[in-house]
Formats: sequence, structure tokens, C-alpha cells
Amino acid sequence: MTKRISIDPITRLEGHGKIEIFLNDDGSVRDTYFQIPELRGFERFVVGRPIEELPRIVTRICGVCPASHHMASAKAVDGCFGGECPPLAHKLRDMYYHAHYIHSHIAHFYALAAPDFVVGPDADPAIRNILGVVAKVGLEIGTQVIRARAMAQEIQSIIGGRSTHLVWCLPGGVAKGLKKEELEKVKPMVAQLYDFTQFSLKLFKDVVLGNGQYVDLILNGPYTLDIGSMGLVDENNAVNFYDGKVRVIDAEGKEICKYAPDDYFRHVAEHVESWTYLKFPYLRARGWKGFVEGNGSSIYMATPLSRLNVADRMATPRAEEAFQEMFSTLGGKPCKALMAAHWARLVEMVQNAEMLQRYCDDPEITGESFRVVPQRITGEGVGIVEAMRGTLTHHYTCDAKGICKSANLIVGTTNNNAAIHMVTKKAAQHFIKPGKEPTEGILNMIEMAFRSFDPCFSCATHSLPGQMPLEVRIWKNGDLYRRFERH
Amino acid sequence: MRTLLLGMGNPILSDDAVGVRLATDLKARLIGTPGLEFVPECSVGGLSLLDVVSGYDRIIVLDSIRTAAGRPGDWYAFTAKRLRETMHLSNIHDTNFATALELGRRLGHRIATEDDIFICAIEVEDNVTFSDTMTSGLEAAYPTVREEILREVMALLES
Repeated sequence: MTKRISIDPITRLEGHGKIEIFLNDDGSVRDTYFQIPELRGFERFVVGRPIEELPRIVTRICGVCPASHHMASAKAVDGCFGGECPPLAHKLRDMYYHAHYIHSHIAHFYALAAPDFVVGPDADPAIRNILGVVAKVGLEIGTQVIRARAMAQEIQSIIGGRSTHLVWCLPGGVAKGLKKEELEKVKPMVAQLYDFTQFSLKLFKDVVLGNGQYVDLILNGPYTLDIGSMGLVDENNAVNFYDGKVRVIDAEGKEICKYAPDDYFRHVAEHVESWTYLKFPYLRARGWKGFVEGNGSSIYMATPLSRLNVADRMATPRAEEAFQEMFSTLGGKPCKALMAAHWARLVEMVQNAEMLQRYCDDPEITGESFRVVPQRITGEGVGIVEAMRGTLTHHYTCDAKGICKSANLIVGTTNNNAAIHMVTKKAAQHFIKPGKEPTEGILNMIEMAFRSFDPCFSCATHSLPGQMPLEVRIWKNGDLYRRFERH
Repeated sequence: MRTLLLGMGNPILSDDAVGVRLATDLKARLIGTPGLEFVPECSVGGLSLLDVVSGYDRIIVLDSIRTAAGRPGDWYAFTAKRLRETMHLSNIHDTNFATALELGRRLGHRIATEDDIFICAIEVEDNVTFSDTMTSGLEAAYPTVREEILREVMALLES
């Protein structure tokens, strides 16, 4: 008779996920299942609506990365209207998106990752949160974090009119440009954000890399996967978040494919399992080979770390320095240590800040040619951007009147579904041993495996109490004999 | 006294819209009330809430809730003190409501005290399916819920 451990969010904020762990009689882990027990139905919801409305609707998929959906949707809709979009509109969208990235990465690093590394992965959950982080690093740093985040929000509001739930992108461009007086407001904030990215990198080096135990956990713990990596790159194979081609490398770093957004269907397929509603994307040419690691695996991940793994370089100089330092410290590319994604986010933030500086210095950025009104409906478009948590694909078709006929979304976390499933099992097998009772700290270290992916199951419900309580149940011979609740 | 009436939820996620819909309806009835400001649609959480709630002496939050034995349309009123017990939970992406408020206070933001944050939570049936309509049970209960909560909010504003 097997035992069952269940890590089950009772309520949900960013979607409901559940981890089931089955134990053998001796207490070792037999298997795990990372399940999404809900059917979302968003792709059906948008069918029959005017296609130009979709960029405004998709921001309601999720309150965590609304701008990512807005951008991918806008690009797909551009395609449905013939693909015309002036260069200035792309620049403004990209500029906005860099500010959005900084805002999101700050929240992830300081509110989600830092509690594990600054306070400690097995620390009392009562202090393992951002309040614990602030208590440890000081109120001054906490104030800097909140201020930097607010500045990134403010830049988004200035450029796009809103920081959340954008209505800014239109077919053929954007609804408003950037005025010179607005640009002058943005410039000093960008300078401060750049300084903040340098500060964050230093903090990571001091607190995380300065602790041998953490470095060992990152490099030698169970948080590694020998699978492919996916991410957008520009024409120089540098990291790009808004545009470019999708590049995929294998576990040894060799390029498997590099494709334009319109070609995604030839390269990515989706496998279905009966025990979860979330599909498992894999590389179509290799075929579904199951949840296996190794150079021939058809499974890939799309994370901040994989974006850096697939790129030859960063697009800006200081980010490139940070990129080189990261990979030289981690033993070269591709890096298979999933916890390095936290470091990768900080490297990305440097590029985000440098790109914002670049746009601030661009004499064309305050121009007027930010939209062309489309004159034709061509009926199909694919938009791909890098959402913070992975490659995001929107594919739409519409009829001759511009009414949506179909929508297909492959979101960041879906790309990572197989990888999350696999690493959760690895972590469970590593930490749960025969004769050793699973403690709250051990269960948190299992959760860290999937938390490194910053998974998002898309919604934005705010059902109270507004967080994700966890219930852990341990079953023995079919009976419940141990139960943990986090309150 | 500066008061914020805040509607929380996602307008296209079935019953999750109830907080937004209530705040929109109450705004139409209460607009012009001295010191009362409105954010009828707030679909963000975590640290982003700090940007929304900073600077007010009193906050009235309208939101959805799911409890084990609740029926659609049941509603509960309580203050933020009740949220304190969940403060230390980790949200999968960000901080929870209580933690965000406490962080704001510790960092010197002007945040209403726990006693001055009033929450009306409406029991819902489905907040996971994308739809621009609420479930029939909640829809049927809605007119009564709206009038009851309006009276509750008006009494609060007069206190």
C-alpha cells in the first residue's frame, strides 16, 4: 500500500495547482504528479468577438503579466490586419515592456525568491516572507525595493497610459506616443532603476553567492534538469523580450531550431495526460518521448535561465558583463541549475534598464508616427513575446469581417509544465527519505523546485483571503494519519 | 477623512466579477459623498496593492470569497484584523493582502489601520471559468446582496 502526500492550495490567487506525492511502504517517493485540475476555457471565450478587442480582453487573463498578453495579442492582431506596424510603435511597445519586466522581476526576486535565500529555505514560515527579508536586510533596502518597483510602474503609466490592464496597443501601432515632457519625467527614473539593478546584483552576490550552503544547493542539489532551453533572440542571437526568433538548444547547448513566430506550429506540439488539464508542449520534430532527461529529450524549458542559455550574448554592455560573470561562475553554458533563474532575472533587469536608457536617448522616441490604420484583413496572425516566466505565443484567425474564429495560446508556464513535473519529482525523491518524516521545511524545499519557474496558471482572481494556503496530507494504508496546514 | 471604496476581482472570470460589479453599482449610488473615492475595478494583488491603497484613512474592500459551507450570495463583513492570521503565508507570485499592507506600514506608507479596513466578502460559486456573466445562483442573489451591502457601507460612512 502506498502513502500519499498532497500539497494542495485550498484557494487560489494565480490559479490552482496541486502536487501529489506517492510514497512506497518504506517511505521513499514512488511518484509525483504536478496537476492543474481546472479547465480555463479562455480560447473559447474569445471566439466570435471582434479581433481588435482581443488585446484589451487578454489583459484580464492574468493580473501578474497583463502586459505580456497585451503585447503578444497586439502582434497577433497586427498579423490579422496584414502586419503593418511602424517602427516607432515597436520601439514604444518595447520600451514599455522593459519597464514592465523590471517591475515584475523586482516583485519576484524580493517577494518570492529572497525569502528562501535571505531568510533561509527551512526557516519558520512565519518569517519566511518579504517582511522577514526586510527585517534581515533593513528598512532602507525595503524602501528602495518598493520605490524602484513604483518607478517602473510609473514609467509604464507614462508610456502606455496605464500600468495594468492596458488598452494602449491597437492594430497597426499604439494609441498614444511619448511626449517630450513625458520623456523628461521618465529619464531620472530610468537612471535610478539602472542603479537599482546594480544594487540587486550586488545583494545577490553578497547574500546568496557568499553562502556556500546556498551555492551548493543551487549547483549540486536536486534542482537541475538535463533538457532543452527555449527563448527569443534578435538577429545577433542576443536576448530579446519583445521580438525576434525563437531559438531552441539541446541539453548540450547545440541549436535544435530557430523559428519565426508564424512557424511555431511546425516546431512545437502539445502532449495530453489524463490527470491534468494543462498540456505538455514538446519539440514536434523529436516526438513525445515521455518525461525523460538527456540530450535526445523532446522536453524543453522556457524560463529566464533558458533565455540566457539560448542566447549568445546580451543586447547591452553591462548586462553582457553580468551574463559572462554568471555563466563563468556557474561553469559555462547551458546552465542546468534551475535556481540560477533567480540570478538570470537580475541579469535581465540590467538589460531592461540599459534598453530604457537607450530609448531615452533615441531622438525618434517622441515622434508622431506611432500608428498606421490597417486597410486590409488578412485573417491570421501569430504574436510571440517573452513573458517574464517564459515564451508566450498567441495565434489567432478571423473571418473577412474581423471576427475571431480561433485562438491558440501557449503560455509561459505551459511550456514548463513537463519540466516542473520532472523537477518536483526529483526534489521529492531527494528530500523525502525512508524513516524521515516530511517537515514543513522539507515541503518548502520541494515547492522551491517549482517556484523557481515562477509558475502562473492564469487568472487574477482575488478571492479572499488572497493568498495560496497549502494543505499537506500524508496517507498511510489508505488512512489519513498526518495533516499540515499553513496558517 | 479620506475613504477608498475598492472593488476587487476579474470582470471576465464568472463570479469573481462580483466585487467589481458591486463597487461600480455603489459608486453610481454614492458618488458625491464627501471624502469618498472609488477604485471600482482592481485586478491586481500583492505589492501592486500598495500603489492603490496608500494615502487613505479608511478602506472599504468589496471582494469574493469561497468557504467550504458557504452558499452563493452569503456575505461576511470583517476588518483587516481577521486577515492577520494569514499574513505569513507565501503567495505563489507575490505577497498576500495583509502582508502588503503591513510592509507598507513598516516602510512608512500612509496605510489605514487594520481597524479601518473594512472588508465585505461575497460567497461565490465559480471563480475559475472565463465568462462575462455570473452563475445563476449568484445572479439571483445579487440584487439583495447589493442593497444589503449598500446599507452596510452607508452606515459605515456615517459612523
